[in-house]
Amino acid sequence: MSVPIEPDQQPWCRKLYANEGYPDNYTDETFLRELRKNIYFKPVSFKEAIKGASLVINELCTVVLFVLHYTFLYNNWIDPSTVFTYSSSVTFIGYIIYSFKSISINKKTIGHDVRTLLMYIVFGHLFSPVLHTLTDTISTDTIYTMTFFMMLIHLIFFNYGIDGSIVSNGLSISAAIFASICLSSRLASAFEAFVLMTFSTQCFILFPFLKAKVDNLYFITPSLVAFDIVVLWCVSKTMFALFLCSLVLLNGLCPYLFVKYQRHKDNIHGPWDEAVVEDTKQI
Amino acid sequence: MVVTVCMVSDFFYPNMGGVEEHIYNLSQCLMEKGYKVVVITHNYSNNVGVRYLTNLLKVYYIPIKVFYNQCVLPTMISSIPIIRYIFVREQIQIVHGHSAFSALAHEAMLIGNLLGLKTIFTDHSLFGFADASAVITNKFLQITLAGCDHCICVSHIGKENTVLRAGFEKCSQRVSVIPNAVDAIHFMPRPELRSKDKIVIVVVSRLVYRKGVDLLAKIMVEICEKYPQTAFLIAGDGPKRWLLEEVRERKGLQHRITLVGMLQHSEVVHVLNRGHIFLNTSLTEAYCMAIVEAASCGLKVVSTNVGGIPEVLPDDLIYLREPNVSSLIDGLEIAINDLENGKCICPYECNMTIRKLYNWENIAKRTVKVYDSVIITGPTKPIHVQLKRYLSSYVWPFLLVVSLVHLILKLLEIIVPCDSIDKVKNVYNKDLKKTNCT
Repeated sequence: MSVPIEPDQQPWCRKLYANEGYPDNYTDETFLRELRKNIYFKPVSFKEAIKGASLVINELCTVVLFVLHYTFLYNNWIDPSTVFTYSSSVTFIGYIIYSFKSISINKKTIGHDVRTLLMYIVFGHLFSPVLHTLTDTISTDTIYTMTFFMMLIHLIFFNYGIDGSIVSNGLSISAAIFASICLSSRLASAFEAFVLMTFSTQCFILFPFLKAKVDNLYFITPSLVAFDIVVLWCVSKTMFALFLCSLVLLNGLCPYLFVKYQRHKDNIHGPWDEAVVEDTKQI
Repeated sequence: MVVTVCMVSDFFYPNMGGVEEHIYNLSQCLMEKGYKVVVITHNYSNNVGVRYLTNLLKVYYIPIKVFYNQCVLPTMISSIPIIRYIFVREQIQIVHGHSAFSALAHEAMLIGNLLGLKTIFTDHSLFGFADASAVITNKFLQITLAGCDHCICVSHIGKENTVLRAGFEKCSQRVSVIPNAVDAIHFMPRPELRSKDKIVIVVVSRLVYRKGVDLLAKIMVEICEKYPQTAFLIAGDGPKRWLLEEVRERKGLQHRITLVGMLQHSEVVHVLNRGHIFLNTSLTEAYCMAIVEAASCGLKVVSTNVGGIPEVLPDDLIYLREPNVSSLIDGLEIAINDLENGKCICPYECNMTIRKLYNWENIAKRTVKVYDSVIITGPTKPIHVQLKRYLSSYVWPFLLVVSLVHLILKLLEIIVPCDSIDKVKNVYNKDLKKTNCT
């Protein structure tokens, strides 16, 4: 099919109706000239990668902290009212910091928050016996497995501050709350269950709000890690070792591999890409 | 000797669209040239079994369940017996698959390859490379194209895209560019139907995100506010129709913007002939049949400058603009001003130009050239050569699929030998006409 091209022929042009005399499978020199590679590529430094990974570490530590509290309550190593008192105090301090950081805080929102708090305490107390017995009949092994998977779902779908199709705040919070309902059925009394539910609300619902306002998370994360490590060392040596391994994996190996494999990025762009509609937000 | 061609695609009449039009018109022209053509597609509600269309175009609607978006589930093996039976019965020599979305076309081409038939593939669409779904679809396309003898694209940009997706950089002579065409006699201008006191802007497209409905919603409001003499006529339906209806309602433009909904392809010409300007807001497009149809009816065409659109029409028939609101409005304003100042080409002249540039006769001639080139490429390749060809896509597990299909075909050869299958007697179109006359 390749017909030799005569010298006096019209030059080939990028039009479908022109190019008389050229075979249909003719490939011009201009072929693929519009091809661009990696045009939106921004290299991520190792420091930035570690910074990003520390967000995951932060959430993982919160989960571990919560489970540790469960262990302490379950074994009666700690008085439930002590947990309630100090967690509430920390939450109160957190609320004050949050109020200072927010610009649009006024009497009305404070009133609203107080009302929410009262409603939570009343309904929490009312329903904690129900929640306490809700998953009572399920065997303890099943409960622990379920808790593990729910926490995993929580960590996967958590909003770490990046827009992605996988991010789902609703799913992530629901999974964490469901895990705490599962665990609370193993505790001795309804009050302990209420304390654990309160603690999980503080960890998984209120704490992310505070984290979003506070800029230098890098102060919170090390202290959380340190606390978790110390307590895990006292509770179980195996868990301590596993936690250290996951820290190294998440905050060392993963960022290192991410930075290393960046050079393999090969993203192709060209005129066939779908145009992006920008100016239609406010119709 | 009569060459028999089998067109395979999930998309065919009664479904409506560019691919369907292409297969139908190409088949008609090939039959006119003395080729024997059959079409294989999956069943459409009532259409199951064998049907005959105009000029005895034989269509097999094979009974396979539709899985997603008018496509069958690519099981690779479950439809082997029926497809093999049809290939043998019709004595097919060339399998011509259409559209990268069509799972049926991919399956039939694989079976055709292993039966030693020539395979040709026409790609009608463009794909990105960025997201996960594109990566998977591109891998599938790469596998199919590794086995096919020749590939046809509908525009130069489509060729670049396909070559990149299929990893064909070294053998781009295996890819031809043959555009679509329109039936310019059907899309005849009728200026007497146009409104005398208003300027009507026509839009004919499916109302989906890829066609730029979000752009259209904003443009129509701004144009209606700025030019009281304009009106919009929008044909087509889709998931984004609510957006246009809502905008129309909120701005109180019910008397200016008409939504006529879904149309049969034969009715499109009546809508086009009521307008002065055609607006196309597509965000990506391999060829864009709609603008050619509009130009054929003598309308001024304003379009986004994306994909293969700049290759389609000569500069004096189209106003190309960037895909954003302000640029497209600018294009429409120039078109409106040109109309009011009488600066326009005679509609009949437009029609004659389109008739010269794109006609199915010419497209069929060029397709026949491709058929001729693959028919002479020697005898069937043995299975190990075939496997090696599929290996070039670097998807090792797919070799297992190919081998399994090969084994099933061998097994079928024992259960239902080729000799036991009745061959269809060749009834030539032209002979039939003669008998009809006498």
